[in-house]
Amino acid sequence: MKKSSSSFSGGWKSLIVFTVLLLAWLCGFASRLFAVIRFESIIHEFDPWFNYRATAYMVEHGFYNFLNWFDERAWYPLGRIVGGTVYPGLMITSGSIHYVLHLLNIPIHIRDICVFLAPIFSGLTAISTYLLTKELWNTGAGLFAACFIAIVPGYISRSVAGSYDNEGIAIFALQFTYYLWVKSVKTGSVFWASLTALSYFYMVSAWGGYVFIINLIPLHVCTLLLMGRYSNRLFTSYTVFCILGLLFSMQIPFVGFQPIRTSEHMAALGAFILILVIGGLKHMQSILSKAEFKYFFIVTSLVAAGTVFFGVVVLTYAGVIAPWSGRFYSLWDTGYAKIHIPIIASVSEHQPTTWFSFFFDLHILVTTFPVGLWYCIKNVNDERVFVVLYALSAVYFAGVMVRLMLTLTPVVCILSGIAFSRLLEIFLKDEETPSNGDSDSEQETSPSRTLYDKAGKLRKMKHEQIKETEGLGANVRSFIIVGVLAMLLMFAVHCTWVTSNAYSSPSIVLSTYSQDGSRQILDDFREAYYWLSQNTDSDARVMSWWDYGYQIAGMANRTTLVDNNTWNNSHIALVGKAMSSTEPKAYEIMKSLDVDYVLVIFGGVIGYSGDDINKFLWMVRIAEGEHPKDIRESDYFTDKGEFRVDAEGSPVLLNCLMYKLSYYRFGELQLDFRSPAGYDRTRNVVIGNKDFDLTYLEEAYTTEHWLVRVYRVKKEDEFNRPRIPVSKRKIRPSDVFISKKTSRRKKGLIKNRPVVVKGKRPVKS
Amino acid sequence: MGVKFDLIKLICAFICVLNSVFATNELIAKDLIVKNIDRSIDVSTQLVKVTCTIQIENTGKSPVSKFLFSIEPNLKQRLSYISAQSGDSSKSPLAVQKATVQSRPDDAFWKVDLREPLGSGSSATIEIDYVLTNALSPYPTHITQKEKQLVKFIGSYYAYLPYLCAKQTTTVSMGTKNVESYSKLNPVVKSDTSVVYGPYTKVAAFSVEPMTVHYENNNPFLKISRIERTIEVSHWGNIAIEETIDLEHTGAVLKGPFSRYDFQREMQSGLSSVKSFKTVLPASATDAYYRDEIGNISTSHMRIMADSVELDLRPRFPLFGGWKTHYVLGYNVPSYEYLFNSGDNYKLKIRVLDHIFDDMVVDELITKVILPEGAENINLVTPYSMTRHPDTRHSTYLDTKGRPVITVSKRNLVENHIQALELDYVYPRILMLQEPVLVALALYALFLLVIVYVRMDFSISKDEAGESRLRVSGILDKLLVLLDKRAILYMNFDEHFAKVKTSKDVNSFNAAAKTFNQEYKNITTSIADMISKLKPDSPEASERVAEIQKLDKVLKEIYNHKQALYVDKLLPGKISRSAFVDAETGLNKKKQDAVEKINAITRALH
Repeated sequence: MKKSSSSFSGGWKSLIVFTVLLLAWLCGFASRLFAVIRFESIIHEFDPWFNYRATAYMVEHGFYNFLNWFDERAWYPLGRIVGGTVYPGLMITSGSIHYVLHLLNIPIHIRDICVFLAPIFSGLTAISTYLLTKELWNTGAGLFAACFIAIVPGYISRSVAGSYDNEGIAIFALQFTYYLWVKSVKTGSVFWASLTALSYFYMVSAWGGYVFIINLIPLHVCTLLLMGRYSNRLFTSYTVFCILGLLFSMQIPFVGFQPIRTSEHMAALGAFILILVIGGLKHMQSILSKAEFKYFFIVTSLVAAGTVFFGVVVLTYAGVIAPWSGRFYSLWDTGYAKIHIPIIASVSEHQPTTWFSFFFDLHILVTTFPVGLWYCIKNVNDERVFVVLYALSAVYFAGVMVRLMLTLTPVVCILSGIAFSRLLEIFLKDEETPSNGDSDSEQETSPSRTLYDKAGKLRKMKHEQIKETEGLGANVRSFIIVGVLAMLLMFAVHCTWVTSNAYSSPSIVLSTYSQDGSRQILDDFREAYYWLSQNTDSDARVMSWWDYGYQIAGMANRTTLVDNNTWNNSHIALVGKAMSSTEPKAYEIMKSLDVDYVLVIFGGVIGYSGDDINKFLWMVRIAEGEHPKDIRESDYFTDKGEFRVDAEGSPVLLNCLMYKLSYYRFGELQLDFRSPAGYDRTRNVVIGNKDFDLTYLEEAYTTEHWLVRVYRVKKEDEFNRPRIPVSKRKIRPSDVFISKKTSRRKKGLIKNRPVVVKGKRPVKS
Repeated sequence: MGVKFDLIKLICAFICVLNSVFATNELIAKDLIVKNIDRSIDVSTQLVKVTCTIQIENTGKSPVSKFLFSIEPNLKQRLSYISAQSGDSSKSPLAVQKATVQSRPDDAFWKVDLREPLGSGSSATIEIDYVLTNALSPYPTHITQKEKQLVKFIGSYYAYLPYLCAKQTTTVSMGTKNVESYSKLNPVVKSDTSVVYGPYTKVAAFSVEPMTVHYENNNPFLKISRIERTIEVSHWGNIAIEETIDLEHTGAVLKGPFSRYDFQREMQSGLSSVKSFKTVLPASATDAYYRDEIGNISTSHMRIMADSVELDLRPRFPLFGGWKTHYVLGYNVPSYEYLFNSGDNYKLKIRVLDHIFDDMVVDELITKVILPEGAENINLVTPYSMTRHPDTRHSTYLDTKGRPVITVSKRNLVENHIQALELDYVYPRILMLQEPVLVALALYALFLLVIVYVRMDFSISKDEAGESRLRVSGILDKLLVLLDKRAILYMNFDEHFAKVKTSKDVNSFNAAAKTFNQEYKNITTSIADMISKLKPDSPEASERVAEIQKLDKVLKEIYNHKQALYVDKLLPGKISRSAFVDAETGLNKKKQDAVEKINAITRALH
C-alpha cells in the first residue's frame, strides 16, 4: 500500500474502510448465530415472544389494525390495548422487510426475519459507530470502534439471533442519532439537524431508552454553553433538533403527550429555552453598549430563571407535568425499587452491576476506555465534549442497572477505538523500514501514513547521524505492538467464548450433556405450550406467574392473566396471592378470575434453578404489597428466617398452592437409587410435605422432565362439595305461589290429574 | 377470477352429476349363486380389513360376465378401499366399479368384471378385499389413564350379497385374548384370538343379522384428520415434499387427570396412548425436517435403511384419547427418480399419498403439485377418482408470473391408496436460464447504479473553494512525489561520493555526476512548472514551494562544491587528509541545515 503512488491513496483508503466494515458486519453476524446453529431458528426468552406475536399480527392484519389491536388474550379480564402500549419500531422494521421481500417474491417467513433482525442490525450499528468515531477522532479509530462493537459481548447479549427485542435495533438508532447530532453540531446545518430528529424519531419508535438521548443532548448543549462554547452552529442544530424531535416523538401513540408532560423530558425544553435566551443575549450584546447590556443581562436572566423554575414546579404540582416514574427513581437511588416497587426489583436485569460483569461484557475495553476518554478531554472540542458526557453518564447508569450495560457498551467501544488508534499511531509512526510494518495494524493507522513515510525517506539523507535517541527503539516498539495485538487477540477469543457460552441459549430449549458427551435436549417448555395449544379450549384461561405470560400467549395461544408487560401491579399481586394461599382460598381467587388451567414451572427433577419455587418469594412480596392482611412474607420463613422446602420449612409454605402444584406426587418419585423419594435436585433437600392430594385442581399435563406442570381447575360440581350444616340441609318449599293461569285460560289445573279412561257401555244384545 | 372460479366449479359439479347418471345401472343376475363364501374380518388394528373368498356358480343358461358385490347397510359409508382379484393361482386383479341397482336404491353395489364370462353351469372363485375405516367404536367411550381401551365392532353374521348363498363362514380375528363379549349364532367357535361363525347354509340374498364383538384393542387409534401434501418440482434436480398433518387420537377419550408419575412408572398406564410412530420415506429422501408452528420437534430419529428411510417420530406429548397434534414433515428427493422427459415433454410420476404410519386412516387428503414456472399443457391422471380443484399460481424465489399449482383432494383414505399420479406437461428448457439471467441483470443494474452514482455530482450549488482545494492537493501530491524523487537522487549521489572515496574511480563518478545533474535539471524544471500551475489556486503554497526551490538551489550549490572538492582535490590527491575532512565536514554541516529547512517546509505542505 505504501508503494502505491499517492493518486491512488483515496481509492485504497475507501477500499480498506469498506472491507473492514464489511468484515466487521460479517463477523458480528456470524458470531451471533451460535444459538441458531446449536438449536434452531427460534425466538428466545420472554419479551421477544411478544414482539414476535405482535409482528406476526401486524403482518397478517395490517398496520392500522395493529395500532388498534385490543388483545383480549392478555390480562384477562382486563385485556391490553397493544397498539397504544408498545413501541412499534421493531414490528414496523421487520414488517417492512417482510413486505419488501414478499413484493420481490421472496417467501421468507416472518419468524426468520424476526430471528435474524438483530444480527443484521448489529452490522448497521458497527457502521454507525464507525461514522460517529470518525467524526470524533479519525478513520482509524472508527474502524477499531466498528470492529469492537461488532463482537463485544455487552452488545451481543442483546442481539443474538432469536433475541428479537427492542434493544437489537435501538442501539443502532442510538448510535446513528448521535452520529447525526455530532455531524450537525460540527456543520451547524439544518439538514443534518433534521436528519438527527428523524433518526431520533426512529429511536423513539423503537425503545423506551430514547429518554437517554433526549437528556444527553440537552446536557451536551448546556455543558457547551457553560464552557463558553456557544456558537451559531450549536444554536441552529439544537433548536431544529429539539422542536422537530419533540413533534416527531409525539407521533408515537405510546409516547403521546409525555414529551411535554413528564419530568424526564423537561431537560430538553429547559435547554431549548436557555439556548434561546443566550442567543438573544448574544444578539443584544452586539446592539447594546456594555453597561446597558450588563443591566439587561442580570434582569433578564433572573426573570427567566425564576419563571422557568416556578413554572415547572407549579405545573408539576398541578399535575400537568408528571413527576419522575419509579423506574427512573431507581436509577438515582439503587435501594428505591426494593422498598417501593418489588416488581421492578424482582427482575434480575434491574439489579446493580457487579465488577465481574463489567469485565465479562467488555473485557480489555474496560481498561482502555479511560485512555480514550483522557485523549478526548485533552484534545477537547465541541463533539468530544459530547462523547465525554456520554461516557460519564453511561458509566453511571451501567453501574446502577445490569440492563443499562447496553448503553455503556457503544461508548466504551468508541473510546477504546480512539485509545488503540492513538497507541498504534505512536508506536507505528517512527517505523524505520516501511516493509516490516504490521499489515494488520497498518489499516488502522492509515490516516497518519502520509505523515511518516515520505518524511522518513527524506530523513534518510541524514545517514551520517541516524540512530539518534529520538523515541523508542525498534525492539521496544515491536514488543509493544505485539503485546497490543495479543491483547486484541485475547479480546476476540474472550468475546467468542462469552457469546458461545453465556448469551447463546434460547432459554426455551435447554440442553444438557450426558457423561458420554452426547447432547440431550430438554424441550419441556414447548411440549407443555404445544399441549395447551392443541388440547385445551381455544378460550381457556391459563394462570401462571407473569414471566411466562408472553410465552403462553405466543406459543400456546391461550388467554393469560398476567404477562411480562407488568403494567398492572394489583393484578399480578392477585395472582401472587393465589399462588401463596392455601388451596381453598386460592380456589376462590381462581374462580373469581375464571381460571381454567394453572401452569407452574418446576425444576426439582432436572435441577433447573429458574423455577417458580425459587421465584416464589417475589410472588409473596408482591402479593404482600397489595394484600398485607392476607399475605405476610415472614410466614413463609422458618423461625430462623430461612426459606426452605424440607420438613423444617414453615407450614404456611408447605401448604400453599405453589408448593402443592410444584410437588404434587413428587414425594413418590425416586430419581435415582442413592437419593430418597421426593429429593429436590434444585434445592438439594427432601421435600417436607410429601403426601397430599389436590381437591380443587387436577393434574392435566406434566412434561417429560416435570419442568412444566399444568393443572386443570375443577368446576364446582366436580370436587366434593363443602359440608353443609344440618340446619341448612332441609329444602324449604318456596312460599311464593305462581299461578299458571293466564288471562285467556282461566280454568283451574290439577297437578297429577288422574287420567280418566272412559269405558264403553256394554252393547245390549 | 371469482366468476371464472365459479364457472369451473359449476362444470365440475355438472361432470359429477353426469358421472352418477351414467354410473352403470345393473341388474342382478338371478341365476348366479354363491356356492361358498369365506369371510375373514381382521379387527386387530383401528381398521376393519375384510377378505372374502367367493365361489360362484352360474346355474342359468346365458353366460354372466359381472359379479355384483354389496356391503352391509350400516358399514357401507365406512368403506374406504375395495379391490378384487381372481381366486386362482394367477391372482390377477379384476376391475371393480361402483354400480347401482334400480330395484334396490338404498344399497351400495360394486361391479366386479370377471375376466371371462362365466358359462352356463361353470363356477369360478374371486377374492374381494376391502377396508373399512371408523367402523370400530370405543366402548366405554371415556376411560381413565389406567384403563384399557375396549372397542366394539358391529357387523353381520352373513355376507350381504345380492345372490343366494349356499354356505358361508366368517372369521373375526381380534389379535388379542381379552375379549369381553361376542354375540352368538350357532355354530360359533372361539379360538385363542378369533371367533369363527358358521358355516351357515342357504342364506337368502340381502340377509342381515347383527353380530357384535367387544374386545380389548390397544393399537393406536390415530386418525389424520387432514393432510396437505405439497410437491414442489424443480428442474434443477430436486423435488421438495412437505406434508402438513393434523393428527387426532380417536380412541376412547381420556377421563380425569393425566399423571406423569404413573405414566413413567407403571407399564400398564396409558396403554392405548400413542408415544411415537414410524413414517417410512422413500430411500432417496434427504434433509428431512419435522416441525410445527413453534419450531423443530427435537424428539425424532432418522434411520437410513437399504430400501427406505425410516423416521421415528415422537409428537411433543404422548397422544391420549381425544388429544390432537399438528406437525409439518418435509424432505427432498432427487427428481430423476420421479421426473421423466423426452425433449420438452415431461412426465411426473409421484405418489399422491405416502406412508405416514402403519394402518393409517386419512380423513381428508389435499395434494398440491407445484410445477416450474412456464410449464404448460398440463394433463393429470390420478390412480383413483379424486376431486380436482381449480389451478392456482404460486410465487416463490425469482418468479415473475408464478408457478402453476395443481390441486386434488379426496376423503377417507387408507394405506392401499398409496399410489402414484401421473402428470404430463410441456416445459421449454430455455426457461431454465431465466433465473440466472435475472440475478445477473439485477447485479449488473446495481453495479451500474453505483458506478453512475459515484461519478455524478448531485450537489445543487457548485463548490468553488472545494474544487480548488482538490486541485491544489492534487498538484501538491505530484509535487511531493517530485520532491521525493529529488531526495532519492541526492541520496544516490551521496552513495557515489562514498564509493568514489574508496575506489577512486574518477570516470564512473563523473558519469554518475553527469546523469545526476541531468535528472536534477529535469526534476527541477518540472517542479517549476508545478509552481506556475499552483499559483492561481493557492499562491501561498506556491510561495512555499518556491522557497523550497530556493533552498534547493543552495543545496545543489553545496553538492557542486562537494563534487568539486572530490574531483578536483581529493582524487588527484591535491589535498591533505585532514584538510579534506575539515572541508567535507563543513560542507556536510551546511547541507544538513539546508536539508532540515527543506524538510520543515515539505512537512508543512502535507
